Amino acid sequence: MNHRGGWALIKRSWLSWMQYRSFFFLLAFGWMVPPLVYLFVWHSAAGEASIGGMTAPQFTGYYLTLILVNQLTYSQTNWTLGDVIRSGELNAWLLRPLSPHYNVLSAELAGKVVYLAFILPITGLLALVLRPELNAGPREILLFLPALLLAWLLRFIWGYWLALLAFWATRADALLTLQDSLVFLLAGVVAPVPLLPAAMQTVAIYLPFRYMVGFPIEILTGQLTATHVAQGFAIQAAWLAAALLLARLVWAGGIKRYSAIGG
Amino acid sequence: MTKPCIEVHNLSKTYRVPVREAGLKASLRSLTHRTYQEVEAVQQISFSVEPGEIVGFIGPNGAGKTTTLKMLAGLLHPTGGEATVAGFTPWERRHAYLRRISMVMGNKSQMLWDIPPLDSFQVLGDIYAVPPAEYRQTLDELIDLLGMRELLTKPVRNFSLGERMKCELVAGLIHRPQVLFLDEPTLGLDVSMQNRLRQFIREYNRRSSATILLTSHYMADVTALCPRVILIHEGKLLYDSDLQELARKLAPFKLVHASLLVNSTPPAFPGGLQPVEVSEEGRHTFRLPRDEAAAFTAQLLGSLPVVDLTVEDPPIEAVIDQIYQEGKV
Repeated sequence: MNHRGGWALIKRSWLSWMQYRSFFFLLAFGWMVPPLVYLFVWHSAAGEASIGGMTAPQFTGYYLTLILVNQLTYSQTNWTLGDVIRSGELNAWLLRPLSPHYNVLSAELAGKVVYLAFILPITGLLALVLRPELNAGPREILLFLPALLLAWLLRFIWGYWLALLAFWATRADALLTLQDSLVFLLAGVVAPVPLLPAAMQTVAIYLPFRYMVGFPIEILTGQLTATHVAQGFAIQAAWLAAALLLARLVWAGGIKRYSAIGG
Repeated sequence: MTKPCIEVHNLSKTYRVPVREAGLKASLRSLTHRTYQEVEAVQQISFSVEPGEIVGFIGPNGAGKTTTLKMLAGLLHPTGGEATVAGFTPWERRHAYLRRISMVMGNKSQMLWDIPPLDSFQVLGDIYAVPPAEYRQTLDELIDLLGMRELLTKPVRNFSLGERMKCELVAGLIHRPQVLFLDEPTLGLDVSMQNRLRQFIREYNRRSSATILLTSHYMADVTALCPRVILIHEGKLLYDSDLQELARKLAPFKLVHASLLVNSTPPAFPGGLQPVEVSEEGRHTFRLPRDEAAAFTAQLLGSLPVVDLTVEDPPIEAVIDQIYQEGKV
C-alpha cells in the first residue's frame, strides 16, 4: 500500500472540496430536511404522552442524532463513480502506482470533514432550541462509536459495490436510489425501527439497511437490551463482510471487463 | 547492443461490439438476442523501440493507435501477442511499472480544476514517492523549460488550452518516467504553442533520454520530432522506418516552383513539360521525376526569364494522405 500517496490524495480532495463548501453546505442542508420533518411529525404526534415508549423530547433526541449519523454515513462519492467509469476518467486512476480505491476513499473522507463543518453547529443550535432528551451514559457512547464506524463502512461499501455495477450497466446509480429508499423505510428514518409494524421490523432486523443508520442511534438512545446490541453487532459485521466480498468480486470482474473493452 | 525498451510481438486486440439495427423493434429484440460484431482494432503488430528513441505513431482516425498505446500503458488487455516495456508486461499494471511510465493525453485532463497546479503536482510527487529534493529539482526544470512559472498558483479552470497542456506535461513528467506515451499532445493548440511544446519534448528527450512514443494528427509534430515513424492503418502495421525515406519511397517526384516575368504568350518549357499550376503572379509549379529535376531546372534557367526558383519534396501531408487513401505503402 502506498500510504504517502493516499494521504496526499485525501488532503488534496479536502482542499478541492473546501472550494465548493457552500455547494456542499446546501447538499447537507437538503439531506437534513427529511429527518427534521419526521422529528416534528413524531414530536407533535407524541404530544404530552408517549408513543411506543418514546416521549416528545426523546423523539427530538433520536432525530437530532439521526441527522448527524445520516450525514456521517451517507456516501456521496458512490454517485459519481459511474461517471468516472463511463467517461474514462478511471484511466487516470489506473495509470498511477496507487490503489484506485484511494480515490473514492479520499473523496469520502474529505466530504465528511466539509459536511461536519456545517452539520455540527446546526444540530448544536437545534439542540439548544428544541431541548432533546438523550440519556446516553458512558456505556452507550462506548458502544455507539464502533457501531457508527461500522455503519459508515457498511453504507459506503454497500453503495460502492452497487455503483461498481456501472462497469456493466449504464445507469447503475438507479440501484443507489433504491438503497436510499430502503434506508429511508427500514433504517429508522421514517420511524425508529422499534416503532415499525412487527413484520416490517423483522425484515428491518435481518436486512443490512438498519445497520447503516438506525442501529447506532438505537444504541445511543438506550432502546436496546444487551442481547439485542450483541445480536445487532453480529448482523452488522456479517453484512459488512458480505459487502466487502461483493465489492471485491465486482471490482475484479469489472476491471477485467474494462481492460477488455476499454474506457 | 542495448536491449530494446519496448518490444511488441504480434500484438492484437479484438473488440466485441454489440450491434443492432435502428428502431424500436430492433431495440426490443436486442434485449433477448444480442448480436455481436468482432472488430479487429489491432492485428498482429510487431515492432521494437530502443531506449531514448522518439517514435511517431501515425495513422488515420480509428487505425488502432490509441488502442495500441493503451495496451502498452497497461490500460487494455490484448487478445493476442506479447509486449514488454522496460522489462515489464504492461497489463499486469505493477506499481513498479507504473512508476516508470507516463501517459499524457491531449484530450484528457488529470488536473483538478479548482486548485492551483502546484497542489496537483505535489500530490503526484507523493503518489509516485518522489524524494522531496528530486521533486523540487524536476519541477524547477520542467517549469523553466515550459516557461510557466506565473501559472503555478492560479486555479486551472482559468487556463487556456495551451496552458493546461503545459500542466499536463509537468504532471506527467514529475516522476521522471523512463517511457512516455504521448497521445495527441498538441491537439487543438495554436501554431506557436505547438512549436513550443515540440521544442520542449525534443529538449526533454535529449536531457532525460526517455523513450517516447507519440501519436499525432499534425504531421508537423511528427516531422519535427520523430526521425522514425510507425504507420498503422486499419489495425495493421504498414510501415516502420525513417520518415524521409517514406516520403522518397512514396513520392518519387519533386516540385519545382519558378516565378517568371509574365508575358502574354505562354512560354515554351524545356522538354515540352506543362506546369501543374500557374498562379496569378506568374509562379509556375512543375511536377517531375526526382532524377530529372536537376537537368530540368538548369534548362529552365538557361532558356526563360526566371525571377525566383525553388525545388522541393511534396508536402508530407500529401504523402500520408496518399497512404491513407490507398491503404498501402
